[in-house]
Amino acid sequence: MAEERTPLMGGNPGWAGEAGEFGHLSEADIRGTTYVGRRPPEGTHPGASCSYPFQVLEKQPEAPLFVGPYRQRLDKIRTRYPTAQGALLPALQLAQEVRGFISPETMAEVAAELALSPAYVRGVVTFYTMYNKRPVGDYLVQVCTNVSCNLCGGDEVFEAFLEHTATDAGEISADGRFTVMEAECLGACGFPTAVQINERYFENVTPGDVPAILERLRGESAAGPRPERGG
Amino acid sequence: MSNEQQQQLVHVTINGRALTVPPGTRIIEAAEQAGIGIAHYCYHPSLSAPAMCRMCLVEVEGAPKLAPACVTAVAPGQVILTESARAREAREGTLEFYLQNHPLDCPVCDKSGECKLQDYTHAEGPKHGRSVEPKRVLGQDDFGGDILYDGDRCIQCTRCVRYMREIAGEDLLCVVQRGHRSAIDTFYERGVEGNLWAGNIVDICPVGALLSKDFLHKARVWDLDNTSSICPNCSQGCNVKLDTRDNLVMRVRPRLNPDVNSYWICDYGRHRYEWINQQGRVEVPLVRSPGGALRAVSWQDAMLRLVAALRERSGPAIVLGSAMLGNEENGLLARLGAALGGELLFRSARAPDEVPCPGAPQLARRRDLAANVRGLELLGFRRVGDDAGTGGLPDARGATLIVLGDALEQLPAGYGADAGLFVALAQRDLPGVRAAHFVLPVTTFAEQEGTFTNYEGRVQRFWPAVQPPPLARPGWQVLGVLLAGLGEASAPASAGVAFGMLAEHHDALAGLSYEMIGPRGALINEPARIGAGRGV
Amino acid sequence: MAYPYRDERETPMLSAHFGDPEARTLEGWRRRGGYEALRQALGMSPGEVVDMVKNSGLRGRGGAGFPTGVKWSFLRDDGRPHYLLINADESEPGAFKDRELCRWTPHQMLEGALIGAYAIRATHIYIYVRGEFFEPAQIVARAIEEAYAAGLAGPDVLGSGYGCELTLHLGAGAYICGEETALMNSLEGRRGQPRIKPPFPAVYGAFGQPTNINNVETLCAVPHIVRQGAEWYRSFGTEKSPGTKLFNMSGHLVRRGNFEFPLGFNMKELIHDVCGGIRDGRRLKAVIPGGSSVPMLGAEEIDIACDYESVAQAGSMLGTASMIVMDDRTNVVKQVRRMVDFYAHESCGQCTPCREGTQWLAKILRRIETGNGTEEDLETLVDLGKNMTGTTICVLSDSAAAPVVSSLRLFRDEYLALIRRPQPVAAMV
Repeated sequence: MAEERTPLMGGNPGWAGEAGEFGHLSEADIRGTTYVGRRPPEGTHPGASCSYPFQVLEKQPEAPLFVGPYRQRLDKIRTRYPTAQGALLPALQLAQEVRGFISPETMAEVAAELALSPAYVRGVVTFYTMYNKRPVGDYLVQVCTNVSCNLCGGDEVFEAFLEHTATDAGEISADGRFTVMEAECLGACGFPTAVQINERYFENVTPGDVPAILERLRGESAAGPRPERGG
Repeated sequence: MSNEQQQQLVHVTINGRALTVPPGTRIIEAAEQAGIGIAHYCYHPSLSAPAMCRMCLVEVEGAPKLAPACVTAVAPGQVILTESARAREAREGTLEFYLQNHPLDCPVCDKSGECKLQDYTHAEGPKHGRSVEPKRVLGQDDFGGDILYDGDRCIQCTRCVRYMREIAGEDLLCVVQRGHRSAIDTFYERGVEGNLWAGNIVDICPVGALLSKDFLHKARVWDLDNTSSICPNCSQGCNVKLDTRDNLVMRVRPRLNPDVNSYWICDYGRHRYEWINQQGRVEVPLVRSPGGALRAVSWQDAMLRLVAALRERSGPAIVLGSAMLGNEENGLLARLGAALGGELLFRSARAPDEVPCPGAPQLARRRDLAANVRGLELLGFRRVGDDAGTGGLPDARGATLIVLGDALEQLPAGYGADAGLFVALAQRDLPGVRAAHFVLPVTTFAEQEGTFTNYEGRVQRFWPAVQPPPLARPGWQVLGVLLAGLGEASAPASAGVAFGMLAEHHDALAGLSYEMIGPRGALINEPARIGAGRGV
Repeated sequence: MAYPYRDERETPMLSAHFGDPEARTLEGWRRRGGYEALRQALGMSPGEVVDMVKNSGLRGRGGAGFPTGVKWSFLRDDGRPHYLLINADESEPGAFKDRELCRWTPHQMLEGALIGAYAIRATHIYIYVRGEFFEPAQIVARAIEEAYAAGLAGPDVLGSGYGCELTLHLGAGAYICGEETALMNSLEGRRGQPRIKPPFPAVYGAFGQPTNINNVETLCAVPHIVRQGAEWYRSFGTEKSPGTKLFNMSGHLVRRGNFEFPLGFNMKELIHDVCGGIRDGRRLKAVIPGGSSVPMLGAEEIDIACDYESVAQAGSMLGTASMIVMDDRTNVVKQVRRMVDFYAHESCGQCTPCREGTQWLAKILRRIETGNGTEEDLETLVDLGKNMTGTTICVLSDSAAAPVVSSLRLFRDEYLALIRRPQPVAAMV
């Protein structure tokens, strides 16, 4: 993948405004996308097969689960756990990657796949926040408003995202592109405000950065399918 | 107990009382043995213990933190305090957390009176709540089958979730969400219906979160009388309590018997009690007059006439017992049958399959859908008829037909009308028994004392829970008087004496007596007892 | 040489290659001396490796500070499968070091883990990375692929005859899964609820087997110890808290980020010199020294050494050395409420004092914050905090109480001001 070595400062708005003494690095350098490279949908080594997006742009709520490359990946994943139940979290992540959210029907299908009870799977799905229980927009924008980010304006960044997407928290924007939610600590406290958008983190985001970030996402969205699947 | 085992025993002190228990005993069990109750919600002796309700925290001297008594095994020399200031304060603090969002709707809650939250709060909870915050509202949810869930009352002990997984064998319940948004739920529209063991979650719910639709707002529990009984609905012989009010059975609950049903009963048995309450009973002894009509007579009159009729009888005898009635009356019926040289028969419904309880190996809803099938077989009765408990009766023309309990349903109209002598010891006044020459009102198992013998040959006692119609008598009493009238035996003065009479004719019961049948029942064919019985 | 700022006083060991994209790759890592320690360790007996780490005095960097070598020695050679779990479920508000370690030096972590796995005879390493860390997880996944291709993982690690598998496992969004037994439940495909102990993980851990679990930073220190020796490692830090530590500096600081110093480094110097002091020329108000779960310290209480003992003596805990620094404009009540909201959101809900206590605290705090509090509320807060401490299976409940109780100790007047003179909260951050 051809990565341009765009200097951080001034380029790629809102992504890592405060790169300190590392302003010479490109976004790809910091994200590690050059190193990661393209990763085939069927997975590589089974030990690494869990590490895939599960928030891709185009959602196919009706698509069959665990077919083609997804079957291969699930089979690989299952070899890594001594129990079928061990593969539950990754299997749900695969399902969400395909369908965009975990519906009751999806829970039942995953349960059948792993010989678990549907109610058990429901208990697990609802425990974890990253399984979307409802459809979300192409981009799920999660703004950290926990203490370290909050001290530095997390609430304002959250409000700015709501304003510029014209949505309420958790809603899908009219164009279907965005869902904005408040998030708990994202583990990037040194880069406030941290915002997770699908799989990517945007760091040091200020309310002023928000329009440019949304513009960038719209551009990516128009540029073609699944820009982040290839890494 | 061997010396080695004795040496391994652990000595501990609970609230100053010295105690010796096997290693591995949990503090809550050890305390129970010493008669010291430790408050708890999530712990249940036959379920896994998650130690999450935090009510059973006790002080173990020398330990920095309070220990959950439900999972902490006793250690040698341990000094355990359940009533120390620390333990009490922790309980009081935790109780306050339970009450913060609880609706406190005891006046309309079915569990009121047998609710652990109520009990513990009454014992040592705060007198006043200090929360001024709005309460969490989750509302009610239909869990399918007989179960209603009230999320606002739920304390998240997860007994029900663990019960469904560990005992009922189907993970039909789960905790959804987490933290203070947690609730118990089913998989959307798929409820607990179809699982035969689900009803027990209402009993093990320590608060009013799981409710029986059948019992909903039917009675206040403090108005109920509880009578120990045996479920009559299959040959498992589950130990139950019949809870009654105004001479009506209001609900059936399991009663602990580790050898038979543990803490559980099936929903098949739980919900088949309405027939006990049914009207339309045979109220008085009826004797067919020469004109052909049944006439009410006194018991004395009826018995004198019947003894006379039996003496004058001729032809073969057909004797029909009932697996829904005890050993006592069936046993005396067998004696009568023997005196008449008759054939001993019974009919009883059979389910296509046994339904085992996955988490209680000895427990199943048995194929035989009556409690005393094994007892009848033991007493010499032979099963006839089909799996619906119908058909199979021989032609009664000219015969002496004596029927106990069997309502003679699903037979050709007027069956027995051409019998030489037809005697029905009946409970309900149904067309089938109306063809008899003598219709004698007898009690149901719920109205009398007696015993059932379950599928494995365990003899278990039951006690009268409701009053019979004033003139109905236990079958053993009626048959005992008849036998005495015929000079076959002296009439037993009680069910216990009637039971004792059985042993004379049936080796399997030798040596057994009411006194010997303990709370867990007694097995037949115990060689030691048979020997002892013979020796006496 | 931490990221994104460096300070000449630092002692870069774990963070020496932060900001250096080449160090990520296996080739780059090897050029920087990588996997030599693994080779060395495989030449020793497992017991010798355990002893070496014991002698180094390395203490767990996940927050509790338990001696790592001692923890390793709990696993018996009993013929059962052993597991090593890497806890990369970093979610403690204020902590952001494991993410940096994963994304800059994945091979450092894998090398440390392989050494640890060898020491405890584990045949499978699970790397539990929080689901939100998708980008670091991709980097770790790539490193795993490289490690397998180079024979660093698999049935015969570096030709030693010792076999070990590596599996990346992504979490799905739950702070509590950072608690070690909750992590095990989550790995097994369950709700991430902490387990009651005993049985301890060394006896009954993941999938019911003997298991050891270490924080990312802990394992990253191991190759350095093996390569340079326990004595060398002990030359950093204090007697009881040896070694270096990544200090995660966040909040109202001029320079935020990770800085690596020996344990025992002065907190005041860290904040005012290394991090350049408080932004916008403001004054320091309070510091939470070890992630949001520990009591906060006032501005006058920070002239202390940053090691486990000294911070504890000052009435708080070093925890993950994740310092959240607040300036004098900070609305303490709001920030405490925000932290308590977090704990209420993240409580697994098993234990009643935590499930009910966290949301009750949050409700009271929100009331005070919006000008509807009473003075009795303050008493209630302290009381609830007391009832939530030491009464639950894990310490999330205690953690929720810590900021409440400590802020009431330091800033009671701010609570009272909100109670007595209700004012709009928008005026303060």
